[in-house]
Amino acid sequence: MAQTSEIKRGVVIRQNNDLFTVTDFQHVNPGKGAAFVRAKMKSLATGKAIENTYKVGENVEIVDVQFQNMQYLYKSGSMHVFMDMKNYEQIEINEDFIGDDAKYLKDGLEVMVGLYEGRAVSTQIPKKVKYKVIEAPPAVKGDSSAGNVTKEVVLENGLKVQAPIFIKEGEEILVNTDTCEYSARA
Amino acid sequence: MSDWQDLKNNPRLKEIYNKRIEILRLTREFFWRAGFLETDTPVAVYPPSQEPYLSPVPVKFFTPDNVEHKFYLHTSPEFAMKKLLAAGYEKIFQLTKCFRNYESFGGQHNPEFMMIEWYRAPGALKEIMDDTEKLFKYIGKKLGIENLSARGNSVPLAGKWERKTMKQVWKKFVGINLDEYLTSETMRELCRKLGYDTDGRYEDLFYKIFLNKIEPFLGVKKPIFIYDYPAAMCSLSRPAEDSRYALRFELYIGGLELANAFGELTDAVKQKNNLEEDRKKRQELDREIYPVDRELIAALVSGIPQAGGIALGVDRMIMLFTGAKDINEVIFQSAADMIDKKF
Repeated sequence: MAQTSEIKRGVVIRQNNDLFTVTDFQHVNPGKGAAFVRAKMKSLATGKAIENTYKVGENVEIVDVQFQNMQYLYKSGSMHVFMDMKNYEQIEINEDFIGDDAKYLKDGLEVMVGLYEGRAVSTQIPKKVKYKVIEAPPAVKGDSSAGNVTKEVVLENGLKVQAPIFIKEGEEILVNTDTCEYSARA
Repeated sequence: MSDWQDLKNNPRLKEIYNKRIEILRLTREFFWRAGFLETDTPVAVYPPSQEPYLSPVPVKFFTPDNVEHKFYLHTSPEFAMKKLLAAGYEKIFQLTKCFRNYESFGGQHNPEFMMIEWYRAPGALKEIMDDTEKLFKYIGKKLGIENLSARGNSVPLAGKWERKTMKQVWKKFVGINLDEYLTSETMRELCRKLGYDTDGRYEDLFYKIFLNKIEPFLGVKKPIFIYDYPAAMCSLSRPAEDSRYALRFELYIGGLELANAFGELTDAVKQKNNLEEDRKKRQELDREIYPVDRELIAALVSGIPQAGGIALGVDRMIMLFTGAKDINEVIFQSAADMIDKKF
């Protein structure tokens, strides 16, 4: 049995004979009351999303997931292929499982993959990822006076984000993968 | 995240911060127009309030000759404002930073947060609900915003907001009569039946069910005030008509808790007993303890009218008006932000 303090993104909780991957969690302190943790979880059996709130300190059954840093290689059909950097073994993960995060994948990106009984149960993209800008419209005179402080740029993996007008083609930028927004120059 | 670079380079975060500035101004404008006076009370106090589960942040002050005095950053300006009611002020409000330790850095909490607290003496909870509803609608109208957004829900501001008793929402979402679950034993049994962990005191058991079965669905279609809380959970409120419940309400919008209000307990003896009880609970929970605020009791002995008061989290209110998903997006240099940049 584990404690609620171990609830983090990517951990797997066993409940009612099903396994759930925690996709997000938040602390709630209702009306000056005790502390609780609200976890958003996805059933590994059905893919259904549920929400569960635990009192801090309560026992939770967290299964032993192995977290491995893996490198993204390429996409093959509906599968994304990753390589375990320790033993060079490759693993395939279905695109549905990665969901919207797939847009952040790029060749060589290191992703934290949770493995349970040899099967991928969670993937975590780094909070900030560095990308090379491959397309950026040149800044136009009058941009800032017209109130345009950003423009759309295209990144090396095809992802499009809004970046400040001073960003040029060939530069590297950091993107916040929580919000899909420009964060800083890399 | 919102630091100077974000405000410079990210129009969405800049827009949120601009709205924050405007919402603070409109809040002040609303209360001054409604005949309230803006008070100001110390942020560092001694002794702090006694809520069993809150952790005030300790600070040390030193006199020039090096004598140490321990103070605490207030968790809300409640006690100080009640003393002002005893001094004869009738309608007062305060926008102030409050601090709570051991709460999360981001999400729905930041250890330092902005509170708007106001009192009407005399005042009924119904009037406080009216003030709250009008405040949101005033800000919405001035900003041209018709819908609030929280946890993926879009909630219209317009129309009469819902007002339901705690008993009614337990009936609706859990299908039970709360009258029969007002003791730890019965509530524990209910937790067992519903498959929840059965450890803890009444309040813990209550919230285990409330947070799972009720809260996520509150105020999803329109904002809702939930009133009349089990008396065991209200050490600062007067009893309701049915004395098993107390005059307390909370506001929920889109599943987010926004505000907590009391029909203020004005009976000095009862208040002293309740605070002593809370102090005992703190001791049992292994929390730091301090004396009961004698000046508050003295203020109640001298007499304050039957007052109503409320504390509303301003950062969360700004989240609703801006659609920010994390409280850190509405705060310039949140705690997490500064820790991130520590060098």
